[in-house]
Amino acid sequence: MIKKIIGLTVVLLVSILGPGCNHKQDRKRYFVAFSQCNNAEPYRSAQNQLMQRLFGEKGDVRLVIADAQQDSSKQIAQIETFIRQKPDLLIVAPNERAPLTEVMGRAMAAEIAVICLERDISQPNYTTFIGADNKAIGKMAGEFIADALKRKNGTPKGTVVEIRGLLGVEAEMERYNSAHEALRPYPEIQFVHEAVADWLQSNARERMLEILRAEPEIDVVYGHNDPMAVGAYIAARELGREKQMIFIGVDGLGGPAGGIKKVDDKVLAATFYYPLCVDKAVEIAERILHEPGFHPAKQYILQPQKITAENASEMYKKLTF
Amino acid sequence: MSLRLDKSSPISGGSIAYIKNRAITRFRFVATLAHVPFFSRLQSLFGLMAVLLIAIVTSPHSAHGGLLFLESGNITDILRQVSEIGIISLGMTLVILTAGIDLSVGTTLALSSSVVALILTRVTLAVSPPVAIFSALCMAVTVSLFVGLLNGFAVAQLRVQSFIATLATMIGVRGLARWLTSNSNIDIGFGNDLASVFAYTLSTKLVVIGSYVFLSVAMALLLSRTVFGRHVRAVGDNEKAALYAGLPIKKVKLLVYTLSGALAGYSGVLHAAQNHQGNPNAGMAYELEAIAAVVIGGTSLAGGRGSVSGTVIGTLIMGILTNVLRLNNVDTNVELMVKAVIILGAVWLQKAWRRET
Repeated sequence: MIKKIIGLTVVLLVSILGPGCNHKQDRKRYFVAFSQCNNAEPYRSAQNQLMQRLFGEKGDVRLVIADAQQDSSKQIAQIETFIRQKPDLLIVAPNERAPLTEVMGRAMAAEIAVICLERDISQPNYTTFIGADNKAIGKMAGEFIADALKRKNGTPKGTVVEIRGLLGVEAEMERYNSAHEALRPYPEIQFVHEAVADWLQSNARERMLEILRAEPEIDVVYGHNDPMAVGAYIAARELGREKQMIFIGVDGLGGPAGGIKKVDDKVLAATFYYPLCVDKAVEIAERILHEPGFHPAKQYILQPQKITAENASEMYKKLTF
Repeated sequence: MSLRLDKSSPISGGSIAYIKNRAITRFRFVATLAHVPFFSRLQSLFGLMAVLLIAIVTSPHSAHGGLLFLESGNITDILRQVSEIGIISLGMTLVILTAGIDLSVGTTLALSSSVVALILTRVTLAVSPPVAIFSALCMAVTVSLFVGLLNGFAVAQLRVQSFIATLATMIGVRGLARWLTSNSNIDIGFGNDLASVFAYTLSTKLVVIGSYVFLSVAMALLLSRTVFGRHVRAVGDNEKAALYAGLPIKKVKLLVYTLSGALAGYSGVLHAAQNHQGNPNAGMAYELEAIAAVVIGGTSLAGGRGSVSGTVIGTLIMGILTNVLRLNNVDTNVELMVKAVIILGAVWLQKAWRRET
């Protein structure tokens, strides 16, 4: 019996000390803690990879990433633990606004510099906020749809299907509202159908199959992210109708699974690069760590970028890591 | 010594004789208990000691040279973090002791958090703030209590298997929570309004940890010192025998599921306060974490055997383990794998232990 207990204890100790004891020999000067809300999302995992690469290049930073698995309570607990460890810098990509506000305030109170990444919180409990402009994305998407229909039908008229992300999420609302606003001057462009697919490719495929049965004529499919636009494309191809319409998405991630590759492969007509915000965050982080008197601006809002067949391969090289 | 009762014992024909036999076995068990080495009765406590030891040995040092793990702030962090799952697992212990399972607690927590936030932000209550907050709390717990009652009714009266009955409620209640909130989170602000005061008050460590401690003690007493507690064990130990002995099986089952629902509801209220929002999507997989805590605490899924103190220890083991892995910056994915080993290891150790004693 005692042997079994000892055995289990050894397994535990190895699992903790194995990955954990590295820091004892680590000569890196700065400890940067990054609380990521959900590693499972491609956008988030791209953020992690880019951050690891950029801090890795600097050489003097020990970066630790904690994954909250899309659970605000878990993220609060992880940040509490980080506060105990007193990192030189804390970067938080909040899972939700309200739940994370208080704990980030506590980090500030503990005199830890805090960078709030991509999603804002209810009160400015951070040293600086680095985010991107979803409204600009919706506007760009709306303008692209109008241009594409003008080219196809002579005048800006036609039918649009919209595949929406998780309802109630700010990014979704802004991508939705500002696209509709941009298309308001064109009464002949009609949104004939919208479906909610919760950001997921599989859901989008299912919804699109139903839509295709209901709508004989579709000109444009606007997915609120790339995987949903691709899901809609797969559905159209199943019914042999993918050539009748164009598909546009949002996010524009690099790598073989990202949206830029899909533009390059002519699956998507366009995608809109939603900045990862990480390059800016690392730039600001480096200054916070190295320049004692440096005070960053309260917020930095980064602009999205249109990616079409013309610049796809160039952007692919830039955003694949 | 015979710790387990043979469930395949012949009941038909000689049920009274069987119950007599059982009583004798029980007596024998109590009599032999005195000879069992002390620590084997406290096997889960032993596990907690082991995890504590590991935590202390591997804990990084703070800037002042002390152990990070043992800082009072860190210890209370852990207690606060485990409180929600801890409270849920108290109710889960009773349900599992009756050889049932309650899968609906996670969504009940979400429903309760949504209800309390909805009431506090959307309804004007013409009473003083403390009364308004207390009534909102009571309403959320009552709604959850009804969810539990529904589970109990399905299991006890309609004789639906608890897995199926609570699976159905789990799905339905998630829908109800999302429908009530129109799919969106009900945010609680940071001002001086009623909802904010609620969040400030009920999210303090004193309230959260205090609630957990109080409810743990209350449930432990309920299980060990009352007739109801003995009935709970008897129903899970051998339902037929309990039936023939004339125990109110239906009432017992109805009550344990109702309690489980109410406790999940209270946990949901604390969840809303701590997260400053009512979230219809909260509590994902909380039922599984609660079941894990119960099982690590030595309660058998077959029913009849287990204790509230064991569950509290199981909850603490998971909490401390999570904390020490994070203090050592162990990768989140490795954390999941380690937890899997712990769950399997704990149950396997207990089995081995029972065989040896």
